[in-house]
Amino acid sequence: MRRLGYVVLYVILIIIAIVQIFPLIWLFLFSLKDNQQIFAKSPFSLPDHPHWENYLKAWQGNIGTYFFNSIWISAVAIVLTVLFASMATFAITRMKWKLSKLVLGLFMVGLMIPLHSALIPLFKLYLSVNLIDNPTSVFLSYTAFHLPVTMMILLGFYYTLPKEIEEAAIMDGCSVNLLFVRIILPMTTSVLATTVIINMIYNWNEFVFVNTFISSDKYKTLTVGIQNFVGQYQTDWGPIGATLMISIVPIIILYIFFSNKIVEGMSSSAIKG
Amino acid sequence: MNKVMSNKWMITLYILPALLLLLILIYIPLVLSAYYGLMEWDGIGNMKFIGVGNFITAIQDMKFWSSVYHSFLLALFSALSLLAYLGISLILASNIKGSDILRKIYLIPMLLSSVAIAQLWIKVYNPTNGLLNSFLMAIGIDNPPAWLAEPSIVLYAIFIPILWQYAGFYILIYYAALKNIPESLVEAARIDGASPWQVAFKIKLPLIKGVFKVTIVLAIVGSLKYFDLIYVMTGGGPNGASEVMASYMYKVAFRSYDFGYGSAIGFLLLVITLIVTFIVRKLTVSDEKELQY
Amino acid sequence: MKKLKALSLLLALTLFLAGCGSSNSEVEKDTASSGGTKTIKFMHLWPEGTNAAQNKILNEIIDDFERENPGIKIEQEILANEQYKDKIKVLSASNQLPDVGMAWPGGWLQPYVQGNKIASFDDVIDSDYRSKFVDGTIEVFEVDGKTYGLPTDLNIAIVYYNKQIFEQNGLEVPTTYDEFLNVIQTLTNNGITPIALGNQERWTGSLWYMYLADRIGGNETIVNAVNRKQSFEDPTLIQAAEEIQKLVDLGAFQKGYNGATNSEAESLFTSGQAAMYLTGTWALPSFTQGENFTQEFKDSVDYFKFPTVAGGKGNINSFVGGNGGLFVAENSDVKEEAKRFVKYFTEKFGERALGEAGIIPSYKLNADDYDLPELYLKVLKDLNDASNITLFADNIMTPGPAQVHLDMIQALFGKEATPEEFVKAHEEALAKEAGE
Repeated sequence: MRRLGYVVLYVILIIIAIVQIFPLIWLFLFSLKDNQQIFAKSPFSLPDHPHWENYLKAWQGNIGTYFFNSIWISAVAIVLTVLFASMATFAITRMKWKLSKLVLGLFMVGLMIPLHSALIPLFKLYLSVNLIDNPTSVFLSYTAFHLPVTMMILLGFYYTLPKEIEEAAIMDGCSVNLLFVRIILPMTTSVLATTVIINMIYNWNEFVFVNTFISSDKYKTLTVGIQNFVGQYQTDWGPIGATLMISIVPIIILYIFFSNKIVEGMSSSAIKG
Repeated sequence: MNKVMSNKWMITLYILPALLLLLILIYIPLVLSAYYGLMEWDGIGNMKFIGVGNFITAIQDMKFWSSVYHSFLLALFSALSLLAYLGISLILASNIKGSDILRKIYLIPMLLSSVAIAQLWIKVYNPTNGLLNSFLMAIGIDNPPAWLAEPSIVLYAIFIPILWQYAGFYILIYYAALKNIPESLVEAARIDGASPWQVAFKIKLPLIKGVFKVTIVLAIVGSLKYFDLIYVMTGGGPNGASEVMASYMYKVAFRSYDFGYGSAIGFLLLVITLIVTFIVRKLTVSDEKELQY
Repeated sequence: MKKLKALSLLLALTLFLAGCGSSNSEVEKDTASSGGTKTIKFMHLWPEGTNAAQNKILNEIIDDFERENPGIKIEQEILANEQYKDKIKVLSASNQLPDVGMAWPGGWLQPYVQGNKIASFDDVIDSDYRSKFVDGTIEVFEVDGKTYGLPTDLNIAIVYYNKQIFEQNGLEVPTTYDEFLNVIQTLTNNGITPIALGNQERWTGSLWYMYLADRIGGNETIVNAVNRKQSFEDPTLIQAAEEIQKLVDLGAFQKGYNGATNSEAESLFTSGQAAMYLTGTWALPSFTQGENFTQEFKDSVDYFKFPTVAGGKGNINSFVGGNGGLFVAENSDVKEEAKRFVKYFTEKFGERALGEAGIIPSYKLNADDYDLPELYLKVLKDLNDASNITLFADNIMTPGPAQVHLDMIQALFGKEATPEEFVKAHEEALAKEAGE
């Protein structure tokens, strides 16, 4: 009976897995087709003859620069977001001060602002400090807009950290900085890895900020590369598929890497704890 | 201990970088957009102060209220779907065989950009050669609906890709939370003879309650300001049947060139979200004092 | 004391932020002024990826201009359609329009002119320049007698059809609307989708309405209604809306047309799954030469003019269409240079677009000079004989009413609004915009 239950469970799990991996296969097939095959035929039909030239088209132009910009802008934003969010969450949950609730409330309101109503004010703001057409405006926006959600995720975990550990550390004469860097951060590796993955996905796929704040080609990111195939009246979808396929590769690799860190983080903190 | 942890200088140091970014890059725009909300402004020429005129327009605007209703529905479904994600996470986090590889596969769709997801689901829903209708016709349903063209269906049809897009996000958070539970607690319960169900409901779920509450807020807030797939897949149509607050705001501000009114809607979106979040918090905060998010 | 420390930290961070910026802008200014080079920022939506030939001409014209005008550099920024429109909005709100950008005539232009954001070209164009362009293509950029845009490409909407499908079903090209209805009836009877329509994008359905309004009420009715010389609740405009719903009832459009994108609709037509498709002449390059399409399709594609309606005031040589153009920002630092560039560019583009990229320009040309596919020659001849071109609906109306129009189009096609409600919504929106 129990065995049967397991078989049923696995069948369901595997069906979900197949459903979830399908989009990747679909995207690959998409990237080898032309418009007509993409729209007029079933999405999982094989291309009549693979249009590998879509990849060639996608690779032309400045995609190398875009790629490089995507990587470094995302990376800077992730580091800033995760670091600042951890520091702020640490201050709010572990330190004792009167305004902590209010400040937390401020961050929560930050979750709620719709992107498009912030766009024109933000542009004016960056303009006034000369940050338009400067990648700084992009990674600062990424950081600011993703701080609230990152903090919310961290919060649930920080509350569960046992107080005893830090008490012991402080007793031993450990400074706050040391406590944060040596004890708190390592203890939260798994949730940090989670927030890194989430921020990575946000930043990697973002294009409204890049589009609005950046004009020079040399600062644009991968999501903009797609626009090379969107014309005034007609869109060439095959190369868009190829661009999407190229741009998803690094993120899958990083995702698997950080996904493993979630589990590793748990076990290593368990040893220390 | 108390002395060290309440050192004002240290607190400032830790909170300030995040707080500054928040105040400068989110609160200044917020205040500015509330200010634009009081103006009649096409975003091009001169502004004209009209007081609360735009807000009165919004109150009388049926299109706005129908977009509010649609956003609420999305928020409701998003919150409900969390239960399913939690269930999947419980299975993945238990040490069943292959859970590691399954987890990695399950989260792959989350990595796709909205552009790709929109294209995928447009193809799923295509009325003649789409995946869904091909399947329905194969099992003998003669005239399956045109999912994105029927005003009565389109809203629900568009919810599915949205919920699916975010599944990975929540599963990931739950998974990390569940894995964070000390193995010793679970082990002890097992030795006491608890079944896997009991372990899940009596030990694991109570321990991640805090995380769960956070995700409820994230799901609701995220839904109320949701924009991406709706804009790409239906443009809020047909005839407003799938319009949500954010897509309506965008259309008014960037397509109808009524930036003052658009800003007012954006501000109302924020106020509505605040009220809903406040109510949800009241409903979910229990006797424990720890979780004051 | 502690407060002071916190304050100084805050200050330091702000300075840090500002610091990054100012140092950077200094660098920019240095390069901008070195050797007296002037840079013209040119924002457009003609990427290499969708029409390489067009992009090539563009770059060559820019190179030529730079060579002939030492000390001037053109810097391009290429965006996709939606992103371009969004960005222009943000830029204009911040007084940062590019020196040169793409303009659309009529209603699009008005707010920018009223807001004093774009410059008039009256000081750079003369009758010689004007005479080189098709009549009306410069005039559409006029507001209060001044010209705020110079024309680039010209497009009209035509009904493309599949010759093969028509032959197989024994159909002739319809010239009257009754014949057209017969074609649709025959096709539906034979189980073939008559018309591909991607009405998720709304402007697609608008083309059908605009043509019917033109054929029934004549080319002036709708324009007058928009310009408030008459009411939109005109019997002919109601009748045009009724005809749309009759087409819907006949099953003229493919299943799910109101939720379909234009890309989906186009490929239904190009793969032979629908017999007709109403769109602009911008599709000609890809329909005749595009590597995306089969030879079978290229051999079977043809077009006809929108048929006339019996008793209607419109004539068959009236078209729905419009032309694009370029503007120069009023507050540009290089306004004079930018205007000269736009004048130069539009002329050169006009000379070369058709021959080298298959794009029909607003420029007067002699069809016989070109070695073009037959379809082009036909279009050029029809354009030559055109009695009138009515602008696309979202061009004649200002952005507010245009959005109402587009929404109502979807409601009309979805039978969620009656023809009376349809015209009433237009009338209200137009009256409100005019401040009546």
